[in-house]
Amino acid sequence: MAAKRQIVTFGGGGFSMEAGNPLLDEFVLQLTGRSHPRVCFLPQASGDADHYIVRFYRAFPADRCLPSHLSLFRRIRSAREPRRHLLDQDLIYVGGGSVRSLIGVWRAHGIDRILHEAWHRGVVLCGLSAGSLCWFAEGVSTFHGPPERVEGLGLLPWSNTVHYSSEHDRREAYHRWLRDGMRPGYAADDGAALHFIGDELAQVVASRGDARGYRVECRAGRVVTTRLATRYLGNGEAIPLVRAAKTEPVPARI
Amino acid sequence: MLILALGGHEFSRRRGNEALRDYMLGLVETDRPRICLLPTASGDTREQIAAFRQSMGSMECQMSDLSLFRLEGGRSALREHLLQQDIVYVGGGSMVNLLAVWRAHGIDRLLREAWRSGTVLCGQSAGAMCWFEWGITRSTGVARPARGLGLLPGSLSVHHHRDPDRRRALLQAVSLVIPPGYGVDDQAGLLFRGRELAEAVSARPGAGVWRVESAGGGGWTETELATRRLSDPRSAIDEPDAHVAELRRTVAARSGARGRA
Repeated sequence: MAAKRQIVTFGGGGFSMEAGNPLLDEFVLQLTGRSHPRVCFLPQASGDADHYIVRFYRAFPADRCLPSHLSLFRRIRSAREPRRHLLDQDLIYVGGGSVRSLIGVWRAHGIDRILHEAWHRGVVLCGLSAGSLCWFAEGVSTFHGPPERVEGLGLLPWSNTVHYSSEHDRREAYHRWLRDGMRPGYAADDGAALHFIGDELAQVVASRGDARGYRVECRAGRVVTTRLATRYLGNGEAIPLVRAAKTEPVPARI
Repeated sequence: MLILALGGHEFSRRRGNEALRDYMLGLVETDRPRICLLPTASGDTREQIAAFRQSMGSMECQMSDLSLFRLEGGRSALREHLLQQDIVYVGGGSMVNLLAVWRAHGIDRLLREAWRSGTVLCGQSAGAMCWFEWGITRSTGVARPARGLGLLPGSLSVHHHRDPDRRRALLQAVSLVIPPGYGVDDQAGLLFRGRELAEAVSARPGAGVWRVESAGGGGWTETELATRRLSDPRSAIDEPDAHVAELRRTVAARSGARGRA
C-alpha cells in the first residue's frame, strides 16, 4: 500500500509565533500516529539561525519526541547523510523566514528532491510562513517588504499565502495575481493550518478561535474567497481525521 | 575593476587582520569610503556582523551590512545600495549556500554590475572563492570543488596550510578536472586588476600564496609566489607577551605536577 502523503501548512503559529500555545505543534505530532515521533527541524529560511534552533528544541522536548535539526550552513556530515536522516523522520518541520533563500539553499544541496521522496514515503511535512509557501507551486511572500510572487517546490498544485487576515498588502497582491492568472489556492490566517492528504485539502484546524483557512480563486475575472470550516483544536478532545472540509461562502474581496 | 581575495581573514585584532583591513581600505581613494558587508555565506550570523561593525567603527568609513535573511524595506533598494558602495566585503561560511542565496535574490548580477562600475569586491574564504570559476568548499562537510561566479579565471582555495584536506582537494582537482589556480593561507591575499593578478600580499609571517597547476598525467606543481609583506606597527592580541607566556608555562607545569602526584 502506498504511504499516505500529508502536508500541513500553517498561516502562522506554532512555537515560532505562539509561545505557550502548543496546539498546532501538537496537532502535527499526533498526525504521525506515533507516540514518540522523530521530528527534524529545517531552519534554512532563517539562515539556520542559532536562536531559532534553540527555540525548536525547547518546544519539542525529548520526552515528547525525538527532535533533531539539519543545518546546511554548518554541515559537518558527509553528503549522503541528509537523505538518510530525513527519510528516517516521522515529521519534517520547516521554519519561517525568506522562502527564496530557503528554496535556493535546498536546491543547492539536493534537499528539494529528498523532501519530495520523504513525502511519498509517508513522512509528514509541515511548516509556517516560508515553511508553508515552499510546498506549493507558487505563492505570495512579503518577507522582503513589498509582496512578491514566488515559486515553491510544487508538491501541492495550488497557490498559497500566509498571515492572510493580518496583512492587507499581501492579500491585495494575491488577489491581483489571481486575476492575472495565478492558479487557485489556499490562504490561512495566523493560527490556522491547512492539512492536505495527497494534493487535496482534508481539513483546516486552528490554535485560535478566530483563525480561518480560505479557498481563493478567480472566477470570471472576480476573486472569490471562500471561508473554510475551521476546527479549533483547543477543546481538549482527541483529534480525529476529517475527510473533507465543509465550506461556507463569504462575499469576495475585489 | 578590483577584486581582493583573502585566504582567511577576520575582523579581529589577531595578527595580520588589521593590516589587511587597512590595505583593503587603501584600495579606494575616497576619504570616507562606503563599505558594505555581505554576511550571506554564514546565514547572516550576528557574530560576523558585530565583528565587522566593531572593527570598521574605528575607521574613517561609512559602513553598512546587508542581511538577505532579514531584509526589510524591499529588494528594490538592494541594487541602489550595492552599486553606490566603494567596497563590498563578503564574509566566510558556506560557498554553496552563498551562491544559491545570491542567485535566488539576483545579487550575483548586481555584484558583477558593481564590479564593472568600479566597486572593489573583497572577501575571505567562501567570500574569496566565489569570484573565481572554481573554489574548494567544505559546504557539504568534505572538501570538494564547487563552481563560483567566474568573474576571475581559474580556481582558488583558502586556509591553504591550516586545512590539509582542502589543499589536497585543490591539488587533486587541478591535476584532473578544474583549471589552474591558487592556494592562499590565512592572512594572505591576492589582488586582481580586471582579470589579471596585480599582486600577492601577506600580513603574517609564514602566510603565503601558491600557484597550483596541472603537470599532466594526474600530477601537479605547487609554486610559492613572491608576496609583498604588509607591515603593522600595532601589536597583535593573539600573541601574549613574554611574561604571560611564562606564567602559562608555569601554571601548566604546576597542574601537571599535581596530576602526577
